Amino acid sequence: MFASVLTAAIHGMEVSPIQVEADVSDGLPSFIMVGYAASQVKEAQDRVRTALRNIGVNLPPKRITVNLAPADIRKDSSGFDLPVAVAVLAAAGLIGEKHLHGGMIMGELSLSGEVQPISGILARVIRARELGCTFCMIPEGNLREASLVKGMKVLGVKNLREVMDYIANPEVYVHPPQEESEGSSSLNDGPDFSEVFGQEGAKRAAEIAAAGFHNLLFIGPPGVGKTMIAKRIPSILPPLTFEESLEITKIYSIAGLLPEGDPLIRTRPFRSPHHTSTAQSLAGGGRIPRPGEITLAHRGVLFLDEIAEFSRHTIEILRQPLEEKFICVSRATGSYIFPASFMLVASTNPCPCGYYPNMERCRCTQNEVHQYLGKISQPLLDRIDLCADISETPLEDIKNPLPAEPSAAIRERVEKARRIQTERYRGTDILNNSELSGKLLDQHCVLTEDAWKLIHSAFDRMHLSMRSYHRILKVSRTIADLEGSGEISCAHIAEALSYRGLDRKYW
Amino acid sequence: MDSFSTEIKCVKKGEPGYPEKMKNLPNMPKQLYYIGKLPDDSLPSLAVVGARSCSPYGRIQAFRYAREASTHGVQVISGLASGIDSEGHKGALEGEAPTFAVMGGGPDLCYPASNRSLYERILRCGGGILSEYAPGTKPMPYSFPARNRIISALSDVVLVVEARKKSGSLITAECALDQGKTVYAVPGAVTDSLSLGCNKLIFDGAGIAYCPEVILDEWGLNAGPEEIEHKINKNTNLALATDLKLLYSYLDCRPISFDSIVRKSGMDARKVSSSLVELVLMGFAQEVGKHYYIRL
Repeated sequence: MFASVLTAAIHGMEVSPIQVEADVSDGLPSFIMVGYAASQVKEAQDRVRTALRNIGVNLPPKRITVNLAPADIRKDSSGFDLPVAVAVLAAAGLIGEKHLHGGMIMGELSLSGEVQPISGILARVIRARELGCTFCMIPEGNLREASLVKGMKVLGVKNLREVMDYIANPEVYVHPPQEESEGSSSLNDGPDFSEVFGQEGAKRAAEIAAAGFHNLLFIGPPGVGKTMIAKRIPSILPPLTFEESLEITKIYSIAGLLPEGDPLIRTRPFRSPHHTSTAQSLAGGGRIPRPGEITLAHRGVLFLDEIAEFSRHTIEILRQPLEEKFICVSRATGSYIFPASFMLVASTNPCPCGYYPNMERCRCTQNEVHQYLGKISQPLLDRIDLCADISETPLEDIKNPLPAEPSAAIRERVEKARRIQTERYRGTDILNNSELSGKLLDQHCVLTEDAWKLIHSAFDRMHLSMRSYHRILKVSRTIADLEGSGEISCAHIAEALSYRGLDRKYW
Repeated sequence: MDSFSTEIKCVKKGEPGYPEKMKNLPNMPKQLYYIGKLPDDSLPSLAVVGARSCSPYGRIQAFRYAREASTHGVQVISGLASGIDSEGHKGALEGEAPTFAVMGGGPDLCYPASNRSLYERILRCGGGILSEYAPGTKPMPYSFPARNRIISALSDVVLVVEARKKSGSLITAECALDQGKTVYAVPGAVTDSLSLGCNKLIFDGAGIAYCPEVILDEWGLNAGPEEIEHKINKNTNLALATDLKLLYSYLDCRPISFDSIVRKSGMDARKVSSSLVELVLMGFAQEVGKHYYIRL
């Protein structure tokens, strides 16, 4: 007899539907699995057989063939145990096949017959909704995550016995109430800028960067709080919308990184990979690629501490995603596209010892200083619009700190500036000031006459390149937006000049 | 001015063309190899020497003193090393008089190699590269202290801009004293280890180079003390807006971070950053590291 069950496999961020077909026929007793399955999927046959026996179901001594169709897609993800078990049970005639139609089944089995939670549930349930499935049968441990998808009947099952009961008589099954998880994103419990005393320049740079979605570089000696400030940047970015939350949750679900209690990610991600990270760990790696750090930082902040210490090869891969907001990872098995729209925040020391230009402490030669900053790839520096210094705070300031502004107040200004940008760029294909270029730059960056004079004199005196000139225009546009000003004035240009990005020949 | 000859010439001691200033001094090389020209004996010359790893303060002063000297027709002589030496040459190139570099290796080898463009600029502007070593001789550690005696011999006055306690520049100053030249030192803060050598020289009797004019006075190139007075006063009377003036008063000759300026002035970060840029553009301040400023 033949039976078939729908499940899904994950490749990168893509979910493809997979038919699990089972056939029980006469012949030498055996259990064969075909259909381009990876070894962890093939192992399903042993788990299924043992789990069934342990709940008291004996499979008939017949030839059992399981096929995972289509055969040209490699099945590499977990969660095939439960659909295989159900398909075999149906093919052996131990359960009715009628109630399996229109459902997607996924889950992992333990030898005792328990159904174990798996990763990537959210993406699969969303795909099931797109395919027009009527219900999804998932492990009970994943129920909260799956219930984020509106308009889909989700059954959380504990063990195989429950699955059989349900299929025998779907009407008696009591659905757990769906949770309302549409709460607005909470930002109150994370780190807050009110804990950062002093460092006004760095905080202001962070505010401008957040308002225009500019990339940002901090320069400062070791141990003065570069990481501390970077960690607080997500708290001044506009709160996540539900759609954005769902998007991030989907990524984290596939990466198997969802927190247990509350599966919906409500705060903007902050990722801080170590400088020994490989290019693959940043971009997404593996034979079937999994999301890398830049994808995990989607809609949030990617913080590269000590950027000069990263290998050049690793850093170079950031160039394409910074422009295109996604990354395409190509493997022998195909190309995988991961979203990667993040704000890059980097930090570096000014020289190998970290104390330049304090010559009392810095003993680096001029050459060493040049070489150290020269290690940062120029094409990457070209994509960083803002640069700020973080200097040491004197002891008396730590003892008697001036009150620091809380994140919420800064966020309010950032949101206002973002609203202005949304309004301005409606109908174009860009969203933020940082994406301005060419014609749009000329069109939207209207300078007062004094501002023109200022930027012209700066161009000559500070030896600006054409590229840094454009960056200054973009940043000054954001500064003007923060003030709600339509025209860019002298003060805006001057401030943008002070935070201008790093030029190689600069000191 | 764009092309220059790289022909290496040689002049032996006792031959015509050997620098007059060196002729009667003991322990002078038997021959001098040079590219370009040798310093003009009839013109005044000033040696600008100092630390290789110098502070922005030292760099700016070296540049400024050399420029002033060169505009008044004084030839600047130094060793083309990085730091103070390079700034001395660069400042001199801004003026009219040629500048000369005494090398620690053959005159055809540019050491350090990173100063290649400066090396060429010196030749292009009518200056010269000198050495007691034959072309192709690699610079050795001992050859640098040795060439210092030639730097001091070629000049009338030696100016030490920044030097640590045990600095090669102090060797130059010592040679200068032995050769009967005048030594000046740019004073620095007593807490500054980079100025310790200079301050010690002053204690030992070197002239205090508190402004470029006092050195020019050595050759009578100045109008006199009134002009010095006038120039010093000019600096304190800047025609600046009140808030710019306030910020300017917080700047120092040592780099001060943006954050400390915000803290000390109590002004808004926005206001401070835009005002500092204005000061930089007006030429009253300079940014020497990211968000580190000094007054000029």
